[in-house]
Parts: sequence; C-alpha cells; structure tokens
Amino acid sequence: MNENIWVLMSGDAIAIATTLILAALGALFTERSGVLNLGIEGILLTSAISSFLAADASGSVWLGLIVGSLIGALLASIHAVLSVVFRANQIVAGLALVIFGTGLANFLGKPAEGKTVSTVIKPISFGPLSDIPVIGPIVFGQDIITYLAIALAIVASRYLFNTRSGLELRATGDDPATVDAQGLSVARIRIRYTMIGGALVGLGGSWLMLAQSAGWHQAATTNGLGWIALALVVFAGWRPMRIIFGAVLFGFTLQLPFTLQAEQITFIPSAFLEMLPYLATLIALIALSRPGSRNLLGAPRALGTPFVRDER
Amino acid sequence: MQIPFRVVFEQRGETPRRLSLLVPLASVFAALFFGALFLIATGHSPIDTYSNMFQDGFASFNGITDTLALSTVLICTGISAAFAFQMNLYNIGGEGQLYLGLIGGAWAGIALGDHLPTLLMVPVVLLCGALAGAAWIFVPAFVRSRLGTSEIVSTLLLTYVGASLIKHVIYTPGSFFRNPNTSFPQGRLVADSASLDSFGSSRLYPTFFVALVIAGALYWVVKRTEFGYRINVIADSPRAAHYAGIHANRTTMWVMLISGALSGLAGAMLIVGPYGKIEPSIITLGYGYAGIVVAALARNNLGLIIVSGILFSGLRVGGNNLQVTTDTPIHIGVMLQGAILLFALGGEAFRRYHIHVVRVQDVSTKKVAA
Repeated sequence: MNENIWVLMSGDAIAIATTLILAALGALFTERSGVLNLGIEGILLTSAISSFLAADASGSVWLGLIVGSLIGALLASIHAVLSVVFRANQIVAGLALVIFGTGLANFLGKPAEGKTVSTVIKPISFGPLSDIPVIGPIVFGQDIITYLAIALAIVASRYLFNTRSGLELRATGDDPATVDAQGLSVARIRIRYTMIGGALVGLGGSWLMLAQSAGWHQAATTNGLGWIALALVVFAGWRPMRIIFGAVLFGFTLQLPFTLQAEQITFIPSAFLEMLPYLATLIALIALSRPGSRNLLGAPRALGTPFVRDER
Repeated sequence: MQIPFRVVFEQRGETPRRLSLLVPLASVFAALFFGALFLIATGHSPIDTYSNMFQDGFASFNGITDTLALSTVLICTGISAAFAFQMNLYNIGGEGQLYLGLIGGAWAGIALGDHLPTLLMVPVVLLCGALAGAAWIFVPAFVRSRLGTSEIVSTLLLTYVGASLIKHVIYTPGSFFRNPNTSFPQGRLVADSASLDSFGSSRLYPTFFVALVIAGALYWVVKRTEFGYRINVIADSPRAAHYAGIHANRTTMWVMLISGALSGLAGAMLIVGPYGKIEPSIITLGYGYAGIVVAALARNNLGLIIVSGILFSGLRVGGNNLQVTTDTPIHIGVMLQGAILLFALGGEAFRRYHIHVVRVQDVSTKKVAA
C-alpha cells in the first residue's frame, strides 16, 4: 500500500480539523457564558460565502477572513440579543439562525455559484523542514490559520482557567446570580462572548472557503460541520485542549472516504464512508452520556437558561 | 459610561388577546420589511417580488392548490416538531425521518403493490413510511430517555446519515429502489395501486385531508386523553410528574417515536401523492426543517399549525416561482422563513412581558419601594 497517501491523509485531516477547532472554540466560548447557540451551521455558511465575495472582489484573502469573522459576530449578535435581551427560547432561536443563514448564504452566493475564488490561502513554506519525510507534510505543511487555530485553543485554555476574565466567564455560565451579585453585568458578558464565539465560527467558515473548498457549493460547502462542532464541544467536556484532539479525530473520519477511494479500496460502500463522521460523532456522544454525568463532564450549569434577577 | 435609560421587563399575568394575534402578524410584516431592504440593496424590486410571491402562492388556482399540496407535507412535519417540542424534546431531525418515510413508503409500494387493492394499499404505504420514520428516531429516543443524551444533536446527525442513505439507494446500480429500465439513476415507480390521483387539473392530493385529520386527532389526544395530560405535566414540571408517579422515561420514548412517525408519514405522503418514487432531490428541499418553523410560528399549538403550515407553504410556493417569473434568487423564500421566525421569537417577549423604558433613577427608587 502506498505510504504517501496516508501521510497526505494525516496532513489533510489536521487541515480539515481547522474549521472544527475554530467553530468548536466559538461554540465553547458561547456555551461557557451560558448561551446555547445552535446556529453555528448557519454562521459557518454565511461567513464562508461572505469571505468568498470579499476575497474575490478585493483579491485579498486577509480581507476575506476579516469580513467572514465580522459577519460571524454580526449573526451571533442576533442570537445574543434574542436570547439575552428578549429571553427567547435559545434552541428555536439557534435553529432560526441556521435557516436564516442558509437562505442568506444561498441568496448572496447566487452570483458565485460554480465559480472558484481567485485567491486562496497557501500553506507556509518552512524550507527544508517541509521536506522531511512523514513529519514534513503533516507538521510543516499547513497554512497560517491552522497553526493559529491550534494556538488559539491553547490560549483559550489558559484564558479560561488561569485568568480573572476567564473565571468571570465560567462563573457566568455556571452561576450567573453570583456574578450579578459581584456587580458584573451578566447580560453584557453573555452578549460579548456570544459575539466573540460568532467571530471564531466566522473565521472557521472563511478558512473553509478560502483554503479548502475554494468554490461555492451552496449548503454542501459546510455539509454539517457546524453540527459536528457542537457535538465536539460536548465530546471535549467544554475544555479547549480536548477540542484539538477531538477535531483531529473527526478530521480523520471526514478524510477517510477520499483516501480509501484514492486507494481503490471499494469493499466498504462509499455511502457508508460518507455516513462515518456523523455516526462516529453520534456514538461518541452516546458513549459520553451516562445518567447524571452532565456535571462531571463539565457542562455549564446555567446553559440555555436566561438570567432573570427578579424571578425567584 | 452610564446609560441613562434602562429597559425593564415586567412579567404579564395574562397575555391580552389582541397581542396573541398582533405579535405574529407584526413579525411577518417586520420580516417582509427586512427582506425588502435586502432586495433593494441587491437591486431587486420588493414590490414586484412580493406581489409575484402573493400571486403565485395564494391568488391563483394553481397557486392556492400548490400551496395546499405543499402544506400537506409541512403540516405533518410541523406537528411532528410541535408534538415533541411541547414536551421540551427537540427533535430537529424531522428532515431525516422524512427521508426514511420516503424509503419505507416506496418499499411497501414496490414490494406489496400488486397484491393489494388501492383502498388497502395506500394506508399500508403510509403506515410503512411512519414506521420507518419512527425506526429512524428509535436510537435517539432510547438514549435520550435512558441516558439523557441530547436529542438535538443526535437526531440532527442522523439526518446527514439519512441523506447518504437516500443517495445510496438511488445511485447504487441494481438497487431495489432504483428504476432498472433507465440508465440515468432515478427511483423505481411504485405500483399503480399505491398511488392516488390528484384533484382535477391541480397537484393537490387527498392526503391533504389525512394531514388535517391527524392534526385534529393529535390535538384531541393532547387536550383530552390521559397520555396528553401526562405530557403536559412533564412539560410543566418534570419533578411534579415524578412525584405523581408518571414515568417520564416511557412518555419521552413514546412522544419521540410518534414525532418520528409523523415526519415519516410526511415522506410516505410524497410517495402516494406527487412523487410515486424516491426522488433524490428531496434532500435539497428541507421540508423537515420547515416543519420546525411552522411549529414555532404556531407556538407548538397543534390547532394553529394548520394555519401556519398553509401560510408558510404559500410563502414557499410563491418564493419558488420567483425564479421563473423574475430573476430574483429563489433563496429569498428560505431567508424570509428564518427572518420571520427570528422576528416572531423577538416578538414573543412583547407578548410575555410588559416592556417599558425607564430612567435609571426610577429603577433604583422602585427597588427601594419593593
């Protein structure tokens, strides 16, 4: 069997994990503040097409990434206002955002259909390091955003567990009444982190567009990655470092069908391979849930519930 | 910086009747206004677009019959969502259960078709579709009731699996569901006994009335039976239900299975109605997701779903025809769906709370008084 293709696959798995890491980190920040945003898939899709249009018009991938992230924050702010200010049902609001985002993305993407973006993010060249067999293409063959995503996960972990703002964030998700008693605004913290989360998801969507697909294929551009990212947060127990591990794992299952096809291994039906990432996510999700394990796993205790000071 | 004004939410004891009607209407208009801004920004005429949508969705014979035909499916997926949502079970995988309903219905229509008369065959096809939908939600329902695994993510993930399954049964050469006589991959037609005729020159099928009857029957179940009473108690307070000796696990299981069956039924209705075979393009139409919007707009009220289902179908049908009549992208319809739902959710606050803006000083004096 050709060894190179497996090396190539590992490199690609880490690459595809980039979107998952960024989207899951975004969801994690949002959920740690106590807001459940199910609209990730819609944000990914809208930021992907926004970054396409921006990068294509300006010729700059960086502008594409910035626009995509801003659009992500903007869409998340809709969810933040509905959940925090209007105290709407967060589950339905998130779903509404998915539907709205999908329609908006396809509407904006009409002129881009079937086209490829004129400028893409290229892998960084580390010179001779990139030529080392096996390690070279896997470790030194990625682009800047992939390294940034991994760095962000590490920074997020430090921020969450070793800084005062991180403590405030975690407290807002676990026990908003205490945060309120400390004189901090629960609403402000929740809106802030929902928007930061949206920006991260937006960055993930933009990267997916500008580095991976480089062409607009409507909803197939993200193909459920947003939902996998949401499951990944549960899988990682709301801890940023574990997201890297989980994302690479899911990256492998996403990449496997292409590799097996290239290797002409056909005894497994391709439809089953297509299902694999979703089935793997589902099995992981079930395996992680035992009765009463919600707290052990680290789910923020006030997740999905609006904070109302006067209600007793 | 201190903001001198503050928004105060005061819980309403009772919602005024006029607001129950006014708020949903206002959300629809707000969403249409928002959509108009978008249309103007992208160089389309909102007045032409909306009048075309209305004309094609409601105000013509083909329009209104197509709308009712689509509402047949959306009422089913709508009650599927609402039936689970009212118990705080978020089955958002109705889309996938609908795919399985298509497969289950097509299986019955092909395998049993020549042995049964139409009068028996159509109910069998619908039943098989419903069973397939229920089977598709079985694992999420089981792990939700036993382990507490989030049904939101699990049902959704299975939708993607279902989409692969649909493609698999149509694109695999020699598949049971694939038409053996064409080289172009398409579904095998079900037996004549398994398909109904539409009314006159319209595309409306008698299944529309089945959907109405089922919506009515479930409304009755929720309002008048012991099972419905249990659902309401669990929804209001799981703890009270526990002390009253109600088995929440078993009810959870049943509610989710029924919800899955209703989405499956919607798929089977497409088999006996317009399709007559598995149509792989179903995975791009999002009828299952639309059911969530229909349910949310009706605030999970099973009676109101018929109204919201028909209104919503009109929006879809009108939106779909835009592509033909004008150059406006078809997706404005989907975008408006989401926008209406977002505005309806925001509006809900006006229904539940008395919202008023006060000066910050007033708030502090009020607190002292309280």
